[in-house]
Amino acid sequence: MMRISSLSATYPNGFNAVKKADLKLSSGEILALVGESGSGKSTLIYASLGLLPKGSSVSGKVFFDDIEFFALPKEGQRKIRWKKVSLVLQGTMSSFTPVLTIKRQFLEAMEEHLSLTPGEAMAKAVELLEEVGLEGNFLARYPHEMSGGQKQRCAIAMALCCDPDYLLADEPTTALDVITQAEIMNLLKGIAKRRNMGILMVTHDLALASSTADEICVMYQGCTIETERSDIIIKSPKQPHTIALVRSLSMMEE
Amino acid sequence: MNTLNNYWLRRVLSSLLVIAVVLSLNFFLFRLMPGDPTGSLLDPRFSPEAKQELLKSYGLDKPLSQQFFMYVKQMLTFRFGISFMSQRPVWQELAERLPNTLLLLFPALLLSAVLGTLLGVAAAKGRGRLTEKAVLLSGAISFSFPSFFVQLVLLLLLAHAFPIFPLRGSLSVPPPTGFWNLLVDRAWHMALPIASLVLLGFGSWALYVRNLMVKVLGEDFILLARAKGLRENEVLWGHAFRTALPPIVTIFFLSLPGVISGAVITETVFSLHGIGKFLLDSVLGHDYPAAGAAFYLMSLVTVICNLLADVVYTFVDPRISFRRLR
Amino acid sequence: MSFWRLDTLFLAFLSLLALLTPLLGPVNEAVAPPFCKPLWLDHESGKPLSLNAKDNSLSFTWESKPPKTFSVKGTVTFEGVPKSAALLLAGPSKTYKLVDLAGYRNFDVDIDSRDVPLKLFLGLSPFVDVSNVIFSERGAYSLFIASDVKAHLDLNLNIYTGKWGIFGTDQRGRDVFRLTLAGIRISLLVGIFATLIASTLGMGLGLFAGYLGGLADSSIMRGVDVLLAIPTLPILVVISGVWGRGLWQIVFVLSIFSWMGTARVVRSLTLSLREAPYVEGLRALGAPTGYILARHFIPEAMPLLLAQMALGVPGAILAEAGLSFLGLSDPLMPSWGRMLHEAQVFGAFTSGAWWLIFPPGLGIASICLAFISVGRRFEEMADPRLREMAER
Repeated sequence: MMRISSLSATYPNGFNAVKKADLKLSSGEILALVGESGSGKSTLIYASLGLLPKGSSVSGKVFFDDIEFFALPKEGQRKIRWKKVSLVLQGTMSSFTPVLTIKRQFLEAMEEHLSLTPGEAMAKAVELLEEVGLEGNFLARYPHEMSGGQKQRCAIAMALCCDPDYLLADEPTTALDVITQAEIMNLLKGIAKRRNMGILMVTHDLALASSTADEICVMYQGCTIETERSDIIIKSPKQPHTIALVRSLSMMEE
Repeated sequence: MNTLNNYWLRRVLSSLLVIAVVLSLNFFLFRLMPGDPTGSLLDPRFSPEAKQELLKSYGLDKPLSQQFFMYVKQMLTFRFGISFMSQRPVWQELAERLPNTLLLLFPALLLSAVLGTLLGVAAAKGRGRLTEKAVLLSGAISFSFPSFFVQLVLLLLLAHAFPIFPLRGSLSVPPPTGFWNLLVDRAWHMALPIASLVLLGFGSWALYVRNLMVKVLGEDFILLARAKGLRENEVLWGHAFRTALPPIVTIFFLSLPGVISGAVITETVFSLHGIGKFLLDSVLGHDYPAAGAAFYLMSLVTVICNLLADVVYTFVDPRISFRRLR
Repeated sequence: MSFWRLDTLFLAFLSLLALLTPLLGPVNEAVAPPFCKPLWLDHESGKPLSLNAKDNSLSFTWESKPPKTFSVKGTVTFEGVPKSAALLLAGPSKTYKLVDLAGYRNFDVDIDSRDVPLKLFLGLSPFVDVSNVIFSERGAYSLFIASDVKAHLDLNLNIYTGKWGIFGTDQRGRDVFRLTLAGIRISLLVGIFATLIASTLGMGLGLFAGYLGGLADSSIMRGVDVLLAIPTLPILVVISGVWGRGLWQIVFVLSIFSWMGTARVVRSLTLSLREAPYVEGLRALGAPTGYILARHFIPEAMPLLLAQMALGVPGAILAEAGLSFLGLSDPLMPSWGRMLHEAQVFGAFTSGAWWLIFPPGLGIASICLAFISVGRRFEEMADPRLREMAER
């Protein structure tokens, strides 16, 4: 289980984006972190990995299984990253360094955290690509030689390359077309079940969340105001903001 | 019509246009000058017939348009004529001096670029600390201190007050014998000029690289590279710097022409036997064949460097392919 | 953001000095022996002295090393014609007769200690340093007339010690401090005018190219590419060498080769404005082109243009200084680059006269730094992103 306990995060300019957030992510399940723009959901996941810009202040505790992340020294944190918990960015963002091949970007992560021979690493990379529905020859490509959907699948494959227990995804399907959106969501669902991984997915799309996630956590102005199983929260939201969100959902469906 | 859209064709045509302009400038500038162009050649006691003979041998008796074509043909085949001042073939003078100029410019440019890049990366990495202020300051100095001033000060300090280095020249007179002695003597003479150019140049490099790196370090793929648990050095150099490399390489080639320009001043301050000083002396001495040829040569090198910059870019940035550019 | 920061204050101060330049008087005249050190440098030699003797005599003390040279100039008028008269310079122990005035009613005195006739008159060899001899002792001195008829003096005594002024003198004996001040005007004139002309040219061509498009655009841009590809200093050298060395020639030549940057910037601004949705909206409402230009384009472009101009001035100043340094400027023009040229060519190194090098060089550097600082601030105004980076 991944646990976030009373996490607060402030950016260098003084903006307090996250205020004492609490979260629990179980293995094998998808938790959707839902909220409007500016509610602090992206900040939450970057803060829990220690990836906020220099000068930010973060307080609280983050646990990956029994490991308390912030209690580790910098070097220890670095070793855990990708191996225990990995990251997938928004579709619009560039996950890949534009001047390096996909192969290089896969292999460097595996080299850092696993001890495989180059041959084994290559084979594993090809396997992962096939798992997300891409051909092995994508390894030889550069990031600009792929479509948005292909890049996202690639990013997911790369996120799995060290077999992490948890995956944090920041709006993984935003800016993709509806069909690709559905494909990517199914992919993630399959991955969560097959590998018994906990996936924390940030999204502003409540409809998407309710159809894919097992649990939904609602964030509003930096606080995690409500967390509930997805079917329950849609039928009986408790907090006023959640109610408003659910209402707008049904308005759209009408 | 499609071929005209070809990027490389356009670039080459553009370069040829520059050469054409340079040649025309050379031709017309020197002929528009007040006074007889061969005044310094001709002894007024020459008979009119002898004068005619001389003019004929320089082709100065033919109509202007014909002279122009002759001139272009000569320049394109590197037949530069005889220098008025030294009475030696111009290409010989140039060939003698070109190595000295290159020996000055290449080490200076390389060192400035390397030092500046290292400093720029360091400043981008450790933001808000002393290195960053140092970079901003040295960048500002790079842009406002005149090169000859810094060079004169260096000469005052290290060649006059503490006579460690020579005051002038590319080689000692008489030059020493033996390969190693010659090499050391060369290096000793080049030390101050190269050092001054590096001092003046590394600041702007550092500033440029720092700004570039700061921009790149703010990109998302850097965040992801860190999230991958890569070592910080690997993120900095293998990802950030590698992404910043294409523009840096381009700027390297594009700054060559500026350095060549500046050689005129550096070679004058240190009395080096190079092309820049040759250009100045020829212009001051109204030695048109020599001045024209020197200017033409410098423009040629500039055009080649600009082309090279584009070519090399396609090799360093995988997003731009050599053949697929339109 | 306060307008009056260090850089703007500095530039305003310099402009004031530039305007007051005529008050300096002629700067190209020699005021003292060549290569005098600044006053504050050498503590052994005495200060230079300039005294005026009226009526009868002049007394002063000399308490340092013998000076380098001295001169006495002026007129002596007698009430009647003296049978015996002389101009005398008396030291603590010896008195020297400088010139015999007997038989003259009026006499124009023009004595310099380097004059050979004086040395012979004093009974010294032509290779002896007169001031060394006369001022060999420290103590009270006096310059006076001894005659049998009353005399009126109007004499100027100038004693030169090899030190002069705040920055010493150059190889011609000119006051370097005054030269440095005079140089402000030249640098500012060239920098500002060359940049103004280049900016106007660039703005005009950039607007044309961006607005008209098509053939006008591509031919102007082709011109920009060609001019940018020509090595700058060499072409400046060639043109200056061919055309002439005046101030305005340099300004004109510099402008021709520096309008390209502004043209590019203005062109891209014009292009983006042409396509901007709000401009389309304005046109749909029937706004005339002039209105769009005046009320929207100019305010939008102003900070950027000001930044371009402010950052272009250092380039022009450095180019002019470079050309002057190479000897391609008018020798009578007190340009800082020219001062450095003469320093190098006329042997500042053999005499170690470093005070000839620092004032002009630091002058150029400080003006350029000030303009760059102002230009950076304009840039920050134009591009808010840069402002953020600066504030962090």
